[in-house]
Amino acid sequence: MLYLELFLSFLMIGFTSFGGMSMIPLINDQMLSHGWMTSQEVADIVAIAEMTPGPMGLNCATFAGSRTAGILGAASASLGVITPSLTVCLLAAMFLTRFKENRLMGNALYGIRPVCIGMIAAIIVQQARTNYAGTLLGISWQAILIGMIALVLLVRFQWNVPKTILVSAILGLLLGR
Amino acid sequence: MKNDRSGRVLDIFLTFLKFGCFTFGGGWSIIAQIQKEYVGKKHWITDEELLDFTSVGRSVPGLMIGNTSVLFGYQTGGVPGALAALFGVALPPFFIMIAVTFIYSLVKDNAYVDRAMMGVRAAVVPIIISALIKLFKSGMKDLFCYLIAIGALALSLFTPINNVLIVVLGAAAGLIYMEVKERHAVS
Repeated sequence: MLYLELFLSFLMIGFTSFGGMSMIPLINDQMLSHGWMTSQEVADIVAIAEMTPGPMGLNCATFAGSRTAGILGAASASLGVITPSLTVCLLAAMFLTRFKENRLMGNALYGIRPVCIGMIAAIIVQQARTNYAGTLLGISWQAILIGMIALVLLVRFQWNVPKTILVSAILGLLLGR
Repeated sequence: MKNDRSGRVLDIFLTFLKFGCFTFGGGWSIIAQIQKEYVGKKHWITDEELLDFTSVGRSVPGLMIGNTSVLFGYQTGGVPGALAALFGVALPPFFIMIAVTFIYSLVKDNAYVDRAMMGVRAAVVPIIISALIKLFKSGMKDLFCYLIAIGALALSLFTPINNVLIVVLGAAAGLIYMEVKERHAVS
């Protein structure tokens, strides 16, 4: 049952992710192992989720769900990804004062944060293999050039992501074959 | 009193619908919006309370925007308030994304779109790198963190181990390490 699979997949993604970009490696894993998306589509989803309003994880869930199983699929995946907010976080809200001083969660996060960093570094390697692949010596020189321009815009000039994506799209139109 | 509460819940739902249309770029944008509307204009909560929601919202699993919404909604309107805030903030992006996915599927194979998407995909790695740089500053505190990060990178790249399991392993490692460290500090 595809709806249930989508729900459970995004439930797992939700419960093991701690905001924003740290979701991408988990989503990538689930999408590729179920054959729901290609690595290239994962790149598209990251860019699209950055360009549209709303939480990254929810945008990815809606995209993946609706690509694989229509609107009901989108609803199943989205419900899965918001379930942690509806359960664990609601409990934390009810016991806010006690939760604030909870030592164990902080200790667990001490290990989770570096794991997220390691996984995100891994996804960079995997995504680079897909997005910069081309015909000349196996590399797309246009893509490399655009990537370097985007990196300078983001890191050196502190451009925001949507603006950088827009410029990259225009460069793609001009340089692409 | 009851009337007051249902009025609040409706206020939360409508305001978070609006937030849902304008939250770009992750969890921080919603905090800025809550701050402006409910700390500044309506005085429902204080800055200190908002800070608590932020830190707790980040330390439990799930969408940070969803978590912050639930924490705010519960404190100001109980469980109905939490649901109103969460579904309010989630519904606009949900419907926008359905429309976007529909358009994406239609135009994906168009030659011009394909060229533009080549450029967009080329920007994805830099986008993730810039996010990583920010995370690096807040997440890497000592040698233990570096070892865990390198371990996670290696497991993720070179083994078929699922990323979900790697996160669970990281949580366990953090618990054990901090426990040992605190015991040493005591003795």
